[in-house]
Amino acid sequence: MAAIGVSEWEVKIPEKPQKDKLYFENLKAKVIDTNLCSRCLTCACVCPVDGIIATDGVEFPNYEEECTDCGACVRVCPRFVYEPKSGMGDYIEFIAGRSKRFKGQDGAMATELIVSAMEMGMIDRGLFVGRDEQWVTEIFHVRDPEQLEVLPLGGTKYTFASVLPELKKAARFTKKGVGIVGTPCMVSGVRKLQQEFPFFRERIKLVVGLFCTENFHHDELTKYLKEKGVDFSKLIKTDITMGKFIATMTDGEVKFKVKALEEILPSGCNVCTDFTAVESDASVGSVGSAAGFSTVAVREENAKKIIDFIKKKGYADFGEADPAQLDFLIGHKKKREENIKRD
Amino acid sequence: MKKVATPEYDIKDKLKYHVSALSTAAKEVVLPLNITTHYPRERKKMPDCFRGYILFDPERCISCFECSFVCPANAIWMKEAPSGRYYPTLDYGKCIFCHFCVDTCPGGALKQTKIHDVAYKDMDEMFTLTEEMIEPPEIIREDEGYVEYEIDKEDLSLKRTKGIDKLIVDVAPSQGVPMVSLCVEPESCLGCGICEGMCESGAVSSLKEDGMVRMKIDVDKCTGCGLCVKECSMQILRLVRK
Repeated sequence: MAAIGVSEWEVKIPEKPQKDKLYFENLKAKVIDTNLCSRCLTCACVCPVDGIIATDGVEFPNYEEECTDCGACVRVCPRFVYEPKSGMGDYIEFIAGRSKRFKGQDGAMATELIVSAMEMGMIDRGLFVGRDEQWVTEIFHVRDPEQLEVLPLGGTKYTFASVLPELKKAARFTKKGVGIVGTPCMVSGVRKLQQEFPFFRERIKLVVGLFCTENFHHDELTKYLKEKGVDFSKLIKTDITMGKFIATMTDGEVKFKVKALEEILPSGCNVCTDFTAVESDASVGSVGSAAGFSTVAVREENAKKIIDFIKKKGYADFGEADPAQLDFLIGHKKKREENIKRD
Repeated sequence: MKKVATPEYDIKDKLKYHVSALSTAAKEVVLPLNITTHYPRERKKMPDCFRGYILFDPERCISCFECSFVCPANAIWMKEAPSGRYYPTLDYGKCIFCHFCVDTCPGGALKQTKIHDVAYKDMDEMFTLTEEMIEPPEIIREDEGYVEYEIDKEDLSLKRTKGIDKLIVDVAPSQGVPMVSLCVEPESCLGCGICEGMCESGAVSSLKEDGMVRMKIDVDKCTGCGLCVKECSMQILRLVRK
């Protein structure tokens, strides 16, 4: 017989806190029902029957029949055994950048990082979040930088996107590797996936994290913004700057204090302490640099190589960034540790 | 300008060619050579590997869909039988008679025949249901003999034999290339057991123990249909040669 492959193998499965119940029921009891769930959808990414879906929360309709009880969702859930990360994290380089090629939220550095990695041949697929006219998020698999000229990508949506369920598909078809941009909770989920399964470890080559205070449910945010007088057909961009939520439309702006959004703050974000996506390869955000620039915290060697590539090719302008400006928001999120209920 | 003139022969050559022509004519008068098969009164004897009408044996089918996947003309459509199993149906309006389905069938459920003359009234009739594929189609046999071509170095001759050629072939069904499903990345296995549920021949087994799932593929039982490979959510199974 050929040397490739084995006919007998063993799979370690995690321990069930509640022995007589399915793994998903355990996950539901420990994470979803206790309002710990961040809706990162790592469980949906790994579920072999694609049963886990995201509605208002995370659900598995019909799990009594469909669930195979493999325990993969429990293995990858970053909050089943929750070790909250916080602070600035380690970084090699802390710079501000502005892409010359792309338009995005600030300096479009997240897009630039993924596209440059694609040009370098590090990855051949990038997962991007786009949106339609009603600001409903859509996931796009970008395989050629030219696609970005026609797709409605870039820019912060402040609503949950089902990126990770698409990750398995991307990982299946990739030849070189996959690049992904995500919020800190998604980054933690991806790391957990990589830690548990070589399948993802070998195929996910670049994880770009975003600075994130919180994220909102689409329905709740749109309802809230409509009440505030935001017309979605005219909306160009949403932004949070200096404690204010700014919705820029073609005929003016709507501003209000971010604190007002706390009433629709999802419970999963209420227990999240990670602002800077500590576990990512590179974190990108708006805070810490001048207007029009993105702050980039380069954490790993692969991201450093991409930044060097961008510098060499002259795809972006670089400037100074100040890590101290992040301290307020890091501290703000650190306070949420109090909200985590310990057994 | 280049002029083309008739070639010049000497008298010796001319005589030689005339004698040759006359002798061929005389030969045709005495023993006429006819290389046309007088179909339908006689048939050409086809080799056993002839790619004709395809027969189906539900007993051997493991519903692996391999035939419908391999079909380059998309002529095979898997239809659910009352038993819940899926069996192939074949649209002869699309079929290009490549017999990839016959060659690829891991259980040998599809079988070739030498039937090449089935008439249909319209396109709809060419869509052959599973039930119609089990028995050979009704064809009117008017043939009393079969012919075989014998090709010499110089000439083509015909061998006519009396009797009816059997159109159903008695060769052993194709076993395909013996393949077996193996796991190439055991560390990435979820232990979900989907492969076990898919396996028709009971080759895959998963045994839950304390904190562990023991996965096993019985190499002898595995027919190499590739169903588990297709369904594996982590894509860590591969078909390899036995």
